[in-house]
Amino acid sequence: MYLSVYQERGRVNLNRVFAVILRHFYLTMHQMERFFDVLVSPVLVLVLWGFLAKYVQNIQTQSLASFLLGGMILWVIFEKVSTDIGVNFMYEVWDRNIISLLASPITFIEYLTALVSIGFIKILIAFVSMFLMASIFYNFQITNLGFGLVLLWINLFIFATTFGIFIVSLVLKYGHSIGPLTWILPFFVQPFAAVFYPISVLPPIFQKIAFILPISHVFEGMRYALKTGQFDAGNFWIAILLNAIYMSGSVAFFAFTLKNVLKSGRLVKLI
Amino acid sequence: MILEVRNLVKKFDGFTAIDDISFEVKEGQILGFLGPNGAGKSTTIYCLLGLIVPDQGRVSIFGKDVLQKRSEIMTQVNYASAEYNLPWNLTVWENLMVYAKLYEVPDPKKRIAEVLEIFELTNFQSKAIRDLSTGLRARANLCKALLNKPKLLLLDEPMASMDPDVVDKGIKLLKQIQKEEGITILYTSHNMWEIEEIADNVIFINHGKIVASGTPLELTKNVLKIEKGEANLRDVFIRLSREGEGES
Repeated sequence: MYLSVYQERGRVNLNRVFAVILRHFYLTMHQMERFFDVLVSPVLVLVLWGFLAKYVQNIQTQSLASFLLGGMILWVIFEKVSTDIGVNFMYEVWDRNIISLLASPITFIEYLTALVSIGFIKILIAFVSMFLMASIFYNFQITNLGFGLVLLWINLFIFATTFGIFIVSLVLKYGHSIGPLTWILPFFVQPFAAVFYPISVLPPIFQKIAFILPISHVFEGMRYALKTGQFDAGNFWIAILLNAIYMSGSVAFFAFTLKNVLKSGRLVKLI
Repeated sequence: MILEVRNLVKKFDGFTAIDDISFEVKEGQILGFLGPNGAGKSTTIYCLLGLIVPDQGRVSIFGKDVLQKRSEIMTQVNYASAEYNLPWNLTVWENLMVYAKLYEVPDPKKRIAEVLEIFELTNFQSKAIRDLSTGLRARANLCKALLNKPKLLLLDEPMASMDPDVVDKGIKLLKQIQKEEGITILYTSHNMWEIEEIADNVIFINHGKIVASGTPLELTKNVLKIEKGEANLRDVFIRLSREGEGES
């Protein structure tokens, strides 16, 4: 019976999903730091890594520079989407709006769909700006990865969404005091994600951890494609399989947590 | 029957917040829901909204179970509390537009203009919520609560921290709207004068149990044991709260 709050039978109501997207669009228009988060911070990160890559290119090979820039651009997708889902949820808590919002007809699935959609729109904007900058200033065309780029992107986005849903579940379970974890948790993954180096350079125990993370297969696939010009189907399918497992786990954990907070009354004590 | 609560029980870690309460609210009725702090009023309202799942009992609104048809029911229900804000950085109009979309209000711009006019907020529609006084914020909350022309309105101390003049105007407005649109209202407040002004019937809850109910005048007569006089919910409140203290 708890599923009624989670999602009633029938379709997801897109009007209500749009309403939450509209709320965050208005918020972004009013708060400059939100605008920076979408456009300026990814570009600044690229400036830093672009110069580093240029330096490396002078002393090393072209492919190493590409690995660094490609890694950075794809890492930003994961980091921004995974933190954005949690941060946008926290905004409702900080604004003391979460109860009014959840008292409306919106279901949790609709609300999560809206948070994921906002992440998708923002990362699309950030990705385009980073792509343009990398190609103009550093002569790096991430589109050289071809259609494979879309597949890498999809895998990264799914894992970032999985992570974001997990963070929202943690905030539901433990309250807003763990909000800062929203920004920190993605960086726990970074050493094992093999963003800038191959999995093979990691110590054996770290390699095992890396192997069970879909994100490390995405970066392995990116390096393979940049080096050979071929799509790495093996790593793609492993990442898809792992993503399916992690997404199922994250959604199950969310449903379990929601059921518990509805029963314990913690949902209304989030503020 | 608009609202029916049957044998509702809610316990938190052994503490009984709601202890087997049952009540109903008929269409067009304004029910005052009274009780001291921690009596279980807000917990009951959260159960009505489906945001807390009761351990036992059933809440039905418009004849439908809240836990099974929450989303469908909430399109015709609204809620306001002074404890919760509309997002601070958005303007009054933007907030109302977001909520109009959430409640799928037809012709939202027209309806927003109507509610802004009712609560005399038209001149403040472009201001951010953070720039409004407490009274204006509460009025913006009430605008949001009326956006979807709800059949059932749950108001949890909606006018807390507003000055008496603003409360007086707010109460008169709510009564007028309630008459015109036939809204059913469940209203909680610690200001007894508000309840005397607005409520047809009152339920008094203490330690999670309903300890008295009736019209404000009936309650006054029954609890204070007086035959004549006007409704005096303030003395009723003090008497019932202190009796409850003796029991606990």
